[in-house]
Amino acid sequence: MQVESSKIDTRTDDPRRQNSMMRIEAIIQPSRFESVKEALHQIGVEGMTVSEVRGHGRQKGHTETYRGREYEVDLLPKVKIEMVLPYNLVDGAVQTILKTARTGKIGDGKIFLSKVDEVIRIRDEERGEGAL
Amino acid sequence: MGTPSTPFTVLRDFYAEEFARIEREFRATSNGRAATQGRASLLDRVILELSREFLAAEPSDLKKLCLVALGGYGRRELFPHSDIDLMFLWEDRSTESRYREGTQAVSRALWDLRLRLSPTYRFLGECEKFQRDNAEFNISVLDSRYLAGDRELFLQLRNKALPHMIDGARSDLLRDLSELTQQRHKKEGDTIFHLEPNLKNSPGGLRDYHVAWWVGLISRMEKTGRWATSEDIWPSKARLDMEAAFDFLAAARCFLHYRQGRDDNALSYEMQAAAAARGIGIENCRAIDPEDWMRIYFRHARAVYALCTQLLDETVPARDTSRVRGWKSRRSHSAFSVAGARLTVLEPAGLRDPHRLLEVFKYVAEHGIKLSREAEDQIREALPTIFDSGSSLPTLWSNLREILLARHASEGLRAMHSAGLLVRLFPEFGAIDSLVVRDYYHHYTVDAHSFMAIENIHGLREAQQNWERPFATLFSELEEPELLFLSLLFHDVGKGMPCEDHVAGSLESIEKVFSRLDLKPGQADTVRFLIRDHLAMSASLLRRDIFDLGTIRAFAEQVGTPEWLKLLCLFTYADIRAVNPEALTPWKAESLWQLYVLTANYLTRSLDEERFRADAGDLQFIDRIFPLLSAAASREELASFLEGLPRRYLFAHSPQEIASHFQMARKLKEKSVQLHLEHRGQIYALTLLATDRPFLFAGVSGTLASWGMDIWKAEAFANAAGVVVDTFHFTDPHKTLELNPSELARLQKNIEDVLTGATPRERLLRGRAGAQSKLQPKVSVPTQIRFDDSSSPHSTLMEIVTQDGPGLLFRLSSTLANFGCNIEVALIDTEGQRALDTFYLTFGGAKLTPDTQERLRVRLLAEE
Repeated sequence: MQVESSKIDTRTDDPRRQNSMMRIEAIIQPSRFESVKEALHQIGVEGMTVSEVRGHGRQKGHTETYRGREYEVDLLPKVKIEMVLPYNLVDGAVQTILKTARTGKIGDGKIFLSKVDEVIRIRDEERGEGAL
Repeated sequence: MGTPSTPFTVLRDFYAEEFARIEREFRATSNGRAATQGRASLLDRVILELSREFLAAEPSDLKKLCLVALGGYGRRELFPHSDIDLMFLWEDRSTESRYREGTQAVSRALWDLRLRLSPTYRFLGECEKFQRDNAEFNISVLDSRYLAGDRELFLQLRNKALPHMIDGARSDLLRDLSELTQQRHKKEGDTIFHLEPNLKNSPGGLRDYHVAWWVGLISRMEKTGRWATSEDIWPSKARLDMEAAFDFLAAARCFLHYRQGRDDNALSYEMQAAAAARGIGIENCRAIDPEDWMRIYFRHARAVYALCTQLLDETVPARDTSRVRGWKSRRSHSAFSVAGARLTVLEPAGLRDPHRLLEVFKYVAEHGIKLSREAEDQIREALPTIFDSGSSLPTLWSNLREILLARHASEGLRAMHSAGLLVRLFPEFGAIDSLVVRDYYHHYTVDAHSFMAIENIHGLREAQQNWERPFATLFSELEEPELLFLSLLFHDVGKGMPCEDHVAGSLESIEKVFSRLDLKPGQADTVRFLIRDHLAMSASLLRRDIFDLGTIRAFAEQVGTPEWLKLLCLFTYADIRAVNPEALTPWKAESLWQLYVLTANYLTRSLDEERFRADAGDLQFIDRIFPLLSAAASREELASFLEGLPRRYLFAHSPQEIASHFQMARKLKEKSVQLHLEHRGQIYALTLLATDRPFLFAGVSGTLASWGMDIWKAEAFANAAGVVVDTFHFTDPHKTLELNPSELARLQKNIEDVLTGATPRERLLRGRAGAQSKLQPKVSVPTQIRFDDSSSPHSTLMEIVTQDGPGLLFRLSSTLANFGCNIEVALIDTEGQRALDTFYLTFGGAKLTPDTQERLRVRLLAEE
């Protein structure tokens, strides 16, 4: 699910509200990662999974010539941040990412949200929000 | 300690009480050796009781069955939570049938005591044979010890079966040991210097101690037919070092086991701090600083690793003996020789001569052969004679340079460090000796990280991955790779200094290093730049948008020249890769390469735009150069000379060189062509200053080609007043100038004559054309010509890639001049047999129109 509006509907009839946890997947510019991570820490989001990825959306790549050789730069470097949060933290996290990752240029990235039915901590098998 | 009686609960309580007693004694004494022996004795008692219960009232009466302790338990080194290897040895099948149930009951009871028992059932005959698919058993049985049962059977195992097995399979045993050790070391990055080492498995850990023990056992059995004892298994000095190391490592491992309550051997930062606070392994259990405690750990690990690997090298057939044989035949007169892949010093007294001492390390760096322990000891003993007498080493840089450039430089440097020479030569390096700096990402100590970074660059010679290859090409293009290695060696010494910013500390230290090396000012500037800005590229990579022109412009400004950019790119590659085995991902490497390409292109394509302007705040260049000028020159005169020169010129030349160019420019009124020719190793550097004129660039390149010189790099710049500053770097493949020094003056005169018209340009290359046309290129390079009108507001940039060959630059520049183009800026470079030339051209004082560009392309292709 791609976020169309910058604000998540927190009314009780929001179907997403019935689920207590959501997964946030954000694809952002590598140069914004440190700032985003720091900003998320400041609002209490500690755990996240980070991957180095490549890709492009509308921001197509280009060809670079160096010493007579051509280098295709069609898949651009991005950082993917994934986190699963209790519902009450989701809105703040999304707003933080939007605010911190935005440079205003093409290629700033995307945020995807999806429901999470269950989470289990491997160490002690605790389930639900307490395992986050 | 009273003798317990069954039932099982009594035995369980007895074990628990005794285990707790041994732990209490360890807490009081930190004596790991005593704790492990205590637990082995405790297990002996327990197993004896269980044997009475399930096998025979008096276990020594058992016939044809024997209980044997193996591995660590066999050696009486049973750590608090280690596995227990127990063998039930039968003489024949009837004994097996008779006692099978009883032995299983013994095993079950031990498991019920929550002991991690690994029981093994073997016939005596099986122990005579080398078991190809069970290397661990072949090795663990070497440490067999009698526990209970038929003693005669045990003696047959110990005195006949095992010597028979060793005799028949010595090579296989040693090969297995060597392979298992190599695999384990490789998994651990082949270094002892882990920030959070594993006390058992890391190189220099307890497993290496035991490998050295097993190699000693096998070798002694082969030579004397007897089992070695702890008193005679190793040479006496090595034995003292090894026993001290074992005492320390055993104490540390016991501490970890008791503290963690399991067989956990990871010496994490937290455990290091706790062990140091308790003074584990330290005399009188004195609390010390964790960093000092780790230095003691590394000292012991180094001793264990050295003996373990040396014994393996000496006993396992060498993997590559050809180079050793070849070397011996060439250097049979030398003061050292190679045997068992180890370098041995034949005349230890010769080591007091610094030059012969450095010869040893040059050989190690060239061939990757380790020093024998004896050689290392002899070198350590020789050092005070050299250094305490205050002898100087006037050729230190040339020797160190050879070591840094050698294929196995990191091995040479590690050997120098291990023998104490590196710190004697450069006391600054002592600050990071075995230094643990705690962070989440680094896996190795600071000194090991520095050596590994150097190894990463040399490793590019055998680049396997696609993402490594561009960096390998870059490495092959470096003009002075030794400066990169020197910078890598000292870039982090500041981490061991009492300063907040480690870069500032490293810069302070490098000045002291320079005082012992006769580097040229430009070389020292390069090293200073690399150390000062060694984090700049990775910072841009991670914190800036590398596809943003502003980022690239700022970074290019910081770096200044393409050569420094190449050096910094490779530095960054090596530095990140030396952090931990996974730090340089293909993603990061590709991003680094993209940043490099974008910046390199910016430096080339922005030349015409990025020029010195005295009125635009470029006065810092004047401040640097002016103090080097004679009293007669004024700041205004200097500013006038620099006005309009590309900023790249200012970055590419040292202030001393620019001051020299300025002085040459002042003499142009007396003589219209000013030349300076300098010999730099294999390269000649020609600097030319003249007022701009047609065919100037063609004239110089043609003259050099007519003399058989090979131009591999050139730059042509001009200031606002039309004074041209050209530099040509060329080699002399026919050694004309080297063998006939007087020809240097004639070459310069010839250039002057061509430029002033005294010698017709047309005569150039006339005699050489025939011979040169017969030369066949090794690689065919198709010509590519690219025009770019966007990089400069008033010139057209032309990039041409083509087959390099004699006279190429003369032909190209003559064609451009004949076509009517003026060369505003030229950058000439070569990569193997590819010529990579960039010209900023004007035609009639303006950019080339698309039609003119096309006509020029056709003309150039026709001239090929």
